[in-house]
Amino acid sequence: MNLNMMSSPYKHSHKSLTSVMMLVTLAAVPGILAQCYFFGAGVLIQLALALVCVTLFEAGVLYLRGRKIWHTLQDGSAWLTGLLLAVSIPPLAPWWVIVIGTFFAIVFVKQLYGGLGGNLFNPAMAGYVLLLVSFPVQMTSWLPPAELMHHQVGLLDELSMIFSNYSQSGYSLEQLRSNVDGITMATPLDTLRTDVSHGLTVAESMTKPVFTETAGLGWQWVNAAYLLGGLFLLQQRVINWHIPVAMLAALSLCASIGYIFDSGNQPGLAFHLLSGATMLGAFFIATDPVSASTTNRGRLIYGAAIGVIVYLIRSFGGYPDAVAFAVLLMNMAVPLIDHYTQPRTYGYGAKS
Amino acid sequence: MRDFKTLFKDGVWANNPALVQLLGLCPLLAVSSTITNALGLGLATLLVLVGSNVTVSLVRNWVPKDIRIPVFVMIIAAFVTIIQLLMNAFTFGLYQSLGIFIPLIVTNCAIIGRAEAFASKNSPLLSAWDGLMMGFGFALILCVLGAMRELIGQGTLFDGADLLLGPWAQSLRLDIIHFDNQFLLAILPPGAFIGLGLLIAAKNLIDAQLKAKQLAPDAEQVKGPRARVTSLD
Amino acid sequence: MILSSMGKNGAILTAFALLTTGAVTLVQQFTAPKIAIQEKKQLQGLLHQVLPESAYDNELYLDCTQISSQELGPQPSYTVYRARQQGEVVALVMQSTAPNGYSGNIELLSAIYPDGTVAGVRVTKHNETPGLGDKIEAKRSEWINSFSTQQVRSQDDRRWAVKKDGGTFDQFTGATITPRAVVGAVKNTVLYAQRNFNTLAQAENSCNPGES
Repeated sequence: MNLNMMSSPYKHSHKSLTSVMMLVTLAAVPGILAQCYFFGAGVLIQLALALVCVTLFEAGVLYLRGRKIWHTLQDGSAWLTGLLLAVSIPPLAPWWVIVIGTFFAIVFVKQLYGGLGGNLFNPAMAGYVLLLVSFPVQMTSWLPPAELMHHQVGLLDELSMIFSNYSQSGYSLEQLRSNVDGITMATPLDTLRTDVSHGLTVAESMTKPVFTETAGLGWQWVNAAYLLGGLFLLQQRVINWHIPVAMLAALSLCASIGYIFDSGNQPGLAFHLLSGATMLGAFFIATDPVSASTTNRGRLIYGAAIGVIVYLIRSFGGYPDAVAFAVLLMNMAVPLIDHYTQPRTYGYGAKS
Repeated sequence: MRDFKTLFKDGVWANNPALVQLLGLCPLLAVSSTITNALGLGLATLLVLVGSNVTVSLVRNWVPKDIRIPVFVMIIAAFVTIIQLLMNAFTFGLYQSLGIFIPLIVTNCAIIGRAEAFASKNSPLLSAWDGLMMGFGFALILCVLGAMRELIGQGTLFDGADLLLGPWAQSLRLDIIHFDNQFLLAILPPGAFIGLGLLIAAKNLIDAQLKAKQLAPDAEQVKGPRARVTSLD
Repeated sequence: MILSSMGKNGAILTAFALLTTGAVTLVQQFTAPKIAIQEKKQLQGLLHQVLPESAYDNELYLDCTQISSQELGPQPSYTVYRARQQGEVVALVMQSTAPNGYSGNIELLSAIYPDGTVAGVRVTKHNETPGLGDKIEAKRSEWINSFSTQQVRSQDDRRWAVKKDGGTFDQFTGATITPRAVVGAVKNTVLYAQRNFNTLAQAENSCNPGES
C-alpha cells in the first residue's frame, strides 16, 4: 500500500508505510539474534507462530469488514505487532499464550478501533498486558541465560516445550529454570525486587549468578542490540529522536536520583537502562507512530512520562517490569498532549 | 395492555438500563465476576426498583414538585437499607461477597431515574410493572455478563450459588470447561468493561439487522409504484 | 405565601423522614437477632477451620482477650481466642498480620498449641496478585494447610522458611514473596504465643460482656 505518511507540515518524506515497517523489522534483527544467543532459539519459534497468527487474524477481520485483504496486509503493521509481541514474551511460553495475545492485539485493540491508524493503544503492548495480567505464571517464566542452565535444551526440545509443556527428555519448564540446587531462577529485575523485599541490599543481591555482568547476564547484551537497531532507525529517519531520548533521559534521571538517596534499595543507572525491555520499549514500542504523540513537544512529554512511569512501577509497583504499562497509560494521554502542544501555525504570531 | 407490553420491551431491550441508558455501571462492572454475585445484586436492585417505584407513585400526588427529589432519595435509601439488612440476615455469605455494592445501589442512577421519569407520573400498578421490567432488564444483563465472565474466567457456572439460595444449590455448580490456568482477565475489572462492550456491540448488531429487515420490504414497495410510472413513459 | 409553602414542604419532608426511618428501624429490629446469629456462625466456622472442635469444650468465640504488639503486626489491637478443656487453656487462636506481602498486609488467623505446634492457619484478608500470590487462600490451594502440625522449635528454626530459603514450605511458581511473608508471620505469631502463653491465658475475658 502506498499510503504516504502525513504529518503536518505535510512535507513529503518519500517513504511508504511498507518500507517503514520493513526497516523497523530489519532493525529488530540484532536484538532477536541476541535473544537467541542468550536464551535459546525459542524466540524464533514464537516469532513464526506469531506471524502466522497475526496474518490469519488480520485477514479474518478484514474479510468480515469487507476490505481488501492482501492490500492491507502488505502494509506490514500486523506483522510488526506480531514481532514485538513475540520478542516480549518468555521464549518457552506455551503456544496458546501467543495465540491469545495476537488475537487480542489484532482483533480487539487494532481492528475493532478501525484498523491501522484508528487504534488508541499500541496493539502489541495491549496484547502483552492482557497476557501478563491473565497468565502471570507463564508470562514470568523466563529461562535463565543458557550458560547458567543446568539442563541444556536444543531447538527440538524447545518446540516440544512450547507445544506440549515438556522437553523431549521429559523435563518441565520448572525443572529447566532450576539451577543445580533445584531453585528456580528469575530475571534480573525480578530477582532484585524479590531480594530487596526480603531485606537484602542491592549490592548483596547483585552477587547472585544472574548478575555477573552490570545489568544481568545476557539481558544487557539484548538491550545493547536493540539500542543498535534503534540507532539505525534514527539514522534512517524512520523514528524521531524525541521519544526515545526523552524516555531514556527521564528514566536515567529518576534512576540516578533514586540511587543517590537510597543506594541500598535502588539499583543504579546502568541497571535500569540495560535490563528488562528498556531499549526495546524506547526505540521500537513507544515510537509507534499511530499511538504516540504527533507533535515534537508532545513527543518529548510523552517519552519523558513513559520513562518516569517505568521507573515508578519498577521501583514501587506490583510488577517487575513496566514498559508495557507505561506505554499504555501514556497512550491514553496522547489526545490531551496533542491538544495542548499544537505548533503555532506558520505566519501567525505567538499568542500574547 | 399495550402499555404493559411497551414497558416490557423498553425495560428488557429498547431502553435497557445497562445496555442503552448505561446507568448503574459501577455495580454492573464490579460484581459481575460470577453469575451468583450478578444474580444477587440484580435481584436486590430489582426489589429496590419495584419498591421505590410503587412508593413514589403512591405518594406522587402529595409531594410538591420542589421537594420531590429529597423525598425520592429518602424513599430509595430506606428501601436499600431494608434490602441490605434482609440480605445480611438471610444470605450472609452473599452479603459479604457483594460487600459495599449493596449500599451503593442507592447511587444507581437507574433507580432515581425511573422514580423521576416514570413513577412520579404514572399509576402504582404501571410503575410497579415498569420497575419490575427495568430491574429485570438490568438483572438480565448483569447475569449474562456474569455468566460470560465466569465461564471464560474459571470455566464454571453457578459457582457459590449456595451463598444465595441455600446449601441445596451447591449441586447447581457446573464445571463446563476445565482450564489448567484461569483466564484471569475475564474475572478482573478490565474483563467486565470488554464484556459489556461486546454485549452492547451485539445489541447494536441485532438492532441494525432488524432495521435492515424492516426496511427491505418498504424499499420494494417504494420501487413498485416507480416501476409503474416509468412504464407509462 | 412563601413562608407557608416552606412550612408545608418542611412538614412533608419531616413526615417522610420519620416514615422511612421508622420503616428501617422496624426491619432492623426484626433482623438484628438473625444477623447476630449469622455473624456468630461465620466466626465459629472460621475458628473451626483452624482448630478442630474436638480439641476444646468451651464456647471459643466467647472467650477472648485483646492485645497489641509490634511483633504481631501493625494493627492497633489483635484478638486472641482461648480454647479450654475443663477450664484449662489448651490452645490459642490468634489474629496477626504479615506486613511484608507483595502488595501490602496479609491478615492471618492461627491456632497454636502451647508447645509451639500449629493446629491450623487461615488468611482472612489480603491483596496479593490474583493467580500468583492468592494461592494462600484455602479456597484456591491446599498450601495453607501445610502449616498444620508443624512445630516451631526456636527462634532460628531453619525449617520455618520457604524451600528457596532452605526451609520446608513450598513457594508458588512465580511468587516467593507472598508465601515467605506468611511463613515468617506465622512463625513470629507462634513464638509470641509461646512466650506469652500464661499472660494471654490469664488475661481478662473481653468477648463476653454482661453474660458472666
